Amino acid sequence: MDLELTDVQQELGSTVARLLKTKYDAGTREALLATDRGWSEEMWNQYAEIGLLGLPFAEEHGGAGMGFAEVAVVMEEFGRALVLEPYLPTVVLGGGLVDAVGTDEQKSQVLPGVAEGTTFLAFAGQEPNSRYDLTSPATTAAVSGDGATLTGEKSGVLGGDAATQFVVSAAVDGGVGLFLVDAQAEGVTVDVRTQADGLKTASVLFENAPATRLGTGDASDAIARVIDTANAALAAEAVGAMSASLKMTAEYLHTREQFGAPIGRNQVLQHRAADMYATLEGAKSMALYSKLAITQDVDGTSKSRHADVIAAKIIVDDAAEQISQESIQMHGGIGMTMEYPIGHYAKRLTVIPRTFDDEDSLVAELAGLGGLIEPEAADVS
Amino acid sequence: MDNLLSKEELEFAQHMREFYRTEIPEDIRRRNAIGEELSKEDMVTSMQILNKHGYAVPNWPVEWGGQDWTPVQRHIWLEEMQLASVPAPLAFNASMVGPVIATFGSQEIKERFLPKTANLDIWWSQGFSEPDAGSDLASLKTTAVKQGDKYIVNGQKTWTTLGQYGDWIFMLVRTDPNVKKQAGISFLLIDMRTPGVTVRPIQLIDGGHEVNEVFFENVEVPVENLVGEENKGWTYAKFLLGNERTGIARIGASKVALARVKAYAATTRTPRGTLLQDPLFSARLTKVEAELTALEFTQLRILSTQAAGSDKPDPRSSVLKLRGSKLQQDITELLVDVLGPQALDFVDSREVADGFTTLPPGASDALKAYFNYRKVTIYGGSSEVQRSIISKALLGL
Repeated sequence: MDLELTDVQQELGSTVARLLKTKYDAGTREALLATDRGWSEEMWNQYAEIGLLGLPFAEEHGGAGMGFAEVAVVMEEFGRALVLEPYLPTVVLGGGLVDAVGTDEQKSQVLPGVAEGTTFLAFAGQEPNSRYDLTSPATTAAVSGDGATLTGEKSGVLGGDAATQFVVSAAVDGGVGLFLVDAQAEGVTVDVRTQADGLKTASVLFENAPATRLGTGDASDAIARVIDTANAALAAEAVGAMSASLKMTAEYLHTREQFGAPIGRNQVLQHRAADMYATLEGAKSMALYSKLAITQDVDGTSKSRHADVIAAKIIVDDAAEQISQESIQMHGGIGMTMEYPIGHYAKRLTVIPRTFDDEDSLVAELAGLGGLIEPEAADVS
Repeated sequence: MDNLLSKEELEFAQHMREFYRTEIPEDIRRRNAIGEELSKEDMVTSMQILNKHGYAVPNWPVEWGGQDWTPVQRHIWLEEMQLASVPAPLAFNASMVGPVIATFGSQEIKERFLPKTANLDIWWSQGFSEPDAGSDLASLKTTAVKQGDKYIVNGQKTWTTLGQYGDWIFMLVRTDPNVKKQAGISFLLIDMRTPGVTVRPIQLIDGGHEVNEVFFENVEVPVENLVGEENKGWTYAKFLLGNERTGIARIGASKVALARVKAYAATTRTPRGTLLQDPLFSARLTKVEAELTALEFTQLRILSTQAAGSDKPDPRSSVLKLRGSKLQQDITELLVDVLGPQALDFVDSREVADGFTTLPPGASDALKAYFNYRKVTIYGGSSEVQRSIISKALLGL
């Protein structure tokens, strides 16, 4: 039983942590938030330089030939520092989809640019008024010869501000296909929005926009797999953000004095902090669980992967809510200010549980899948 | 996720799985699984079979019947035991007094007690808590005054689990009233048949007789029944309570209990389908399953840290107790809610008079277990004590 990080993963984690510690403190981040772009090109180039952007892709496609286990290490550190750059949209979602369904030629065309930091991807899957459903896009593809054109509206497109290319889902051949669309192409209109956590999304209109189909056949399974991977990545990111929140809250309980003593001397606060710790440990365990669900599903056919990942997301979502709310409460008024970092963590931890799906729907879905424990486990009753 | 285990570990798990299911009588395992009260004889039978094969006290030193196992093997041993619904070796013997004697006792006292303790030839009771010494155990008042080659013991112990079966009792007694409370405590072994020892049952709200009060009135105890050194008892007690927390999350047992809830809910009809299809019930159940999985992986993470060679005190073991006990309670509540109106009568068995409809599985144990399991957030360091331990590690205040 070895659940520890490998030496390489530990080294990767401390490299990223060191970089963020020196270049991404709360003040720097707040200044970034105030810019039009809202994130740092300089940091993006640094990530490319130390190999983070090509981490999960094969070496023949310009990547580092590693896997999701390493991506999870990066995501946890990014969560700890509340990184704003579009890593999840470009590397995990966009890159993941190209990697999953693209032909070898398409991968060679797209992924090296991702790894170098020059290509930005975004997955345009969600649509207005269809909540989180990705299985039946109203966006349609008209295929003719080698090319295609797309028509429809996508919303909540993470990283849609930065994307140089969109990976777009559309109805085709009675199923779902994925298409690559140049962000500058004619018939593409992008309306950028800013989420509560400062991350950029976009609504994108495609009006007979020229597109290239990625691979062939129905892409539904690949989309489900990449969303599972993205959820596992969010679990790791949330663990980073929750760990930082709890650390900061513990320090505050230690240093903030009222009635002549640190407020952490109050048992009521001690016990609530202990509950936060216990909750965080559960979330760490389930982030690990979802990581294993992804890394052990080598050929993408695991029957339990989806159930395992959503079980993890349920626990992580619950934890994110408790820890973000309690962190603000224990800080008091200062926790509600933009000048103090704890509220920024709370914002990210409020968005994560509502990204790709929400807890109630996941619980209902997991119940529908039969849960995690077989009734036969009670084999003597 | 079986593939977390090595080939050898998987083989070991398979071996234990088969062993438990072939060697321990099915009748005992079945009754244990469905929450029936086990007799003293059931417990002795089961533990003696385990002991015959070296599986009763693997945590002890090898020379006294223990096994040279890795933390992972010990985990598998316990997990598979719980999944097979095998009654655990009596904790008072196997995880409490045994390790204390093996670690701190003289050679003579080891030879005298350890083999019989491993084989449950002696049924041990625990004499720690007192009416005024619960979570604040060190304030205990029962005295042992040395007179020649005897201690004279006076006082009262309480919450003595299964004390009605006890042959011997291991006690914390005050041997020096004039020092800091922790520094005047000794660890003493007393034959419960000694004149002056009285066991009185305490009736509990679950309808059962699980715990007792034990009174000591001028009980004469030979000095050779002292374990280790006089006034070092608190150190031994802390060692013992540390062992008690191992496996206290009872994850395998909770899995079996949850599986039972699911199996019964799937055959329970409501006006809108089966109970398992009821959206609110299934949501509650599903969240408990996810939480149990989280706890299992917290346990595996602790194991992995231990396997990597760390033996530092780990506040995560308090998380296991805090969350594991709450989950056990949640599962008993789910079972009560599966039974609905048929959970509400206190009945000894599911048998009914001729012509009446048989009671459904769980009808005779669900509500009793619900009340009985109120104990799990109280014993072994209450949830509040665990939170204080965690916050001390976290805040250092």
